[in-house]
Amino acid sequence: MLRYNFIYELRILLRSRWIQLLSLLLLLLFGFSAFNGKEKVEKRKVDIAAAKQEVLDTDQSMLKLLDSVERGMAVSASPWTIPTSPMAVANYYPRVVAMDPQPMAFVSTGQADIFTHYVKPTATGDDFALNFTEMTSPVQLLFGSFDLAFVIVYLLPLLIIAFSYNVLSSEKESGSLRLLASQPISIRKWVFQKLILRFFWLSVLVVTTLVLVILIVGIQPLEWSKVFGLLGLALSYMLFWFSLAFLVNLYVGSSAKNAVSLLGLWVVFVLLVPSVLNQLAGTLYPMPSRTLMINEMRERKVEATKRQDEILDNFLRDHPEYAINDSTQTRSFYHNYMASQKVVKEELAPIVNAYETQLKKQQSWSRQLQWTSPAIVVQESLNNLSGTSTADYENYRRQVIAFSESWREHFMSFLYNNTLFKSEDHTNLPQFQYHALGQSGVPKAILILLAMALVLLGLGFAVQGATRQKGILAD
Amino acid sequence: MISTKDLTKKFGDLTAVDHLSLSVKEGELLCLLGANGAGKSTTINMLLNFVAPTSGSATINGLDATRHPIKTKEFITYIPENLMLYPMLTAIENLDYFSGITGRQLAQSSLTGFLEEAGLQKDAFHKRISTFSKGMRQKVGIAIALAKDTKVLLLDEPTSGLDPKASNEFGNLLQKLRGKGVAILMATHDLFRAKVVATHIGIMKDGKLVQQFVADDISLPQLEKTYLETMNYKEVLS
Repeated sequence: MLRYNFIYELRILLRSRWIQLLSLLLLLLFGFSAFNGKEKVEKRKVDIAAAKQEVLDTDQSMLKLLDSVERGMAVSASPWTIPTSPMAVANYYPRVVAMDPQPMAFVSTGQADIFTHYVKPTATGDDFALNFTEMTSPVQLLFGSFDLAFVIVYLLPLLIIAFSYNVLSSEKESGSLRLLASQPISIRKWVFQKLILRFFWLSVLVVTTLVLVILIVGIQPLEWSKVFGLLGLALSYMLFWFSLAFLVNLYVGSSAKNAVSLLGLWVVFVLLVPSVLNQLAGTLYPMPSRTLMINEMRERKVEATKRQDEILDNFLRDHPEYAINDSTQTRSFYHNYMASQKVVKEELAPIVNAYETQLKKQQSWSRQLQWTSPAIVVQESLNNLSGTSTADYENYRRQVIAFSESWREHFMSFLYNNTLFKSEDHTNLPQFQYHALGQSGVPKAILILLAMALVLLGLGFAVQGATRQKGILAD
Repeated sequence: MISTKDLTKKFGDLTAVDHLSLSVKEGELLCLLGANGAGKSTTINMLLNFVAPTSGSATINGLDATRHPIKTKEFITYIPENLMLYPMLTAIENLDYFSGITGRQLAQSSLTGFLEEAGLQKDAFHKRISTFSKGMRQKVGIAIALAKDTKVLLLDEPTSGLDPKASNEFGNLLQKLRGKGVAILMATHDLFRAKVVATHIGIMKDGKLVQQFVADDISLPQLEKTYLETMNYKEVLS
């Protein structure tokens, strides 16, 4: 039966122009979304490159200024910006701490339109107050980005529904089911084969058009292992929807009812469950107010300013390496400020930690319940694959904080040893290198999706025995 | 080949088929006559396990049709009132498909041979079914029966809507199949065609087989009179 279904299903699909229509639609959808994604990534790259160029330019002017000062020439710059002062370098010549786009970033915008991709931390800035969010059009946030992930997660199931909702009901409605059912074959098996063949042909189209689009749009550098991960996710997600269509075809009835049922399930799995889980995560683990945190920080700073002499004494007691020259040197604003900043940071640690703990709890809760919707599984995995997930931005934020700390520490020794910054110190400035998260979790996601599909297919076949006695056209 | 014993089907309070017992042997053609709702189509549906009987049994070639639906269908070809094939496929492709999915791989020459034997014009073999008349579709149905080497043919109002020529051709095909030993059960309103093609005639009313004759023992006018009397159509008789 499979061989003949295979041959004639393809013939019918070609003659009814389904294959041609689907190919065109997929080419358009994948093409536009991949192009869109690539444009966004290019803009990110251009922004980061411009920021890095700006640093190179300011470094050049800094080195010229240093050279003039070191040769005893008069310079026309404000005294506090002259780079012989280490704190001037630390504050006015920051490095670019950038999150470089990953090779598959064009697939999913993820959190990329909410968070920034580079910051320039200074020695006097506060890590926890660093602004990671970007100004984004609220309209775009409302509708999301038209990227490959959007096409795969939201639109592909709709194409599958249109392609599979009436496999059995159309036979019933056209009258051909009576002839078919009078043959010595199992109608359930026949429906299963028809859907598996449609899944096969759609998979061929999806794989071909996706690979074509990736090559045409010219994604560079291309990591084939990740492209295979993307294809694996798309195919297992498609199998889930075909399995759902199998169940609906067997148990619902007319084409209209099938279509409404499948669209209802699409709303539940793609829109409702993710939204409800998101709302519940926020309700169960509410995030502390950022405004309260900033107010708290200001109050602590005011208090620290009042007792800055005491703080500085304590700081020098804790850092005898800086206190060695204490009796011979004078103290400036920055000596007090940097010491008190450290104290403020330590005092604010519980509040900052509470924020991070709640975020972790929210993420862990969502991760545990992701199996309730295949759309969440795929979206999360595509974000991970693209390096644009919440975890990726959290990873970037941690690296920024660590770099800020090392940047500050680098200049603390200059400051408290009252050493001037020289031209040769420029080459020793800390440099930032972004390290992306290694694991994408794609194989696990594929397994979850396959398990979901198997459960649905199993349900379709398990009830066979119970309904056989009623006769196949009993309803 | 076809046998029912006390076959009964109830839909709620309505008894569609009421303790029906009949038998059709090899080479016999039993025509079931009766008004709409008499239970003719329901009987055929039970033989095909489209609906399960409430009680009694239906057997095909000695096998229970309810308990062994797939096995019994190996012997059956069914042609409904409106035989619907795949409109996107040609006649020969439809024949190839319906033979192929049941495990019969036929050569092109065999396929054309069966279509020819069923009386389809040669120029229609490679035309899509969507362009076919009802009579031409019925011929493809007969070709499916021939290709299947069927033992049992179940026909539900096969000649309704056919013009006299097509109806006559269809009758001749049935005689040919009967000659090959096929057991045929045909539900119809067409008394004339029943008299011409059947070996046995039964009249059903309210789910019961109320009259049964050997076709040769009754003339067409007698058959018509008996049918109208059985149906209690007094105004027509007067």
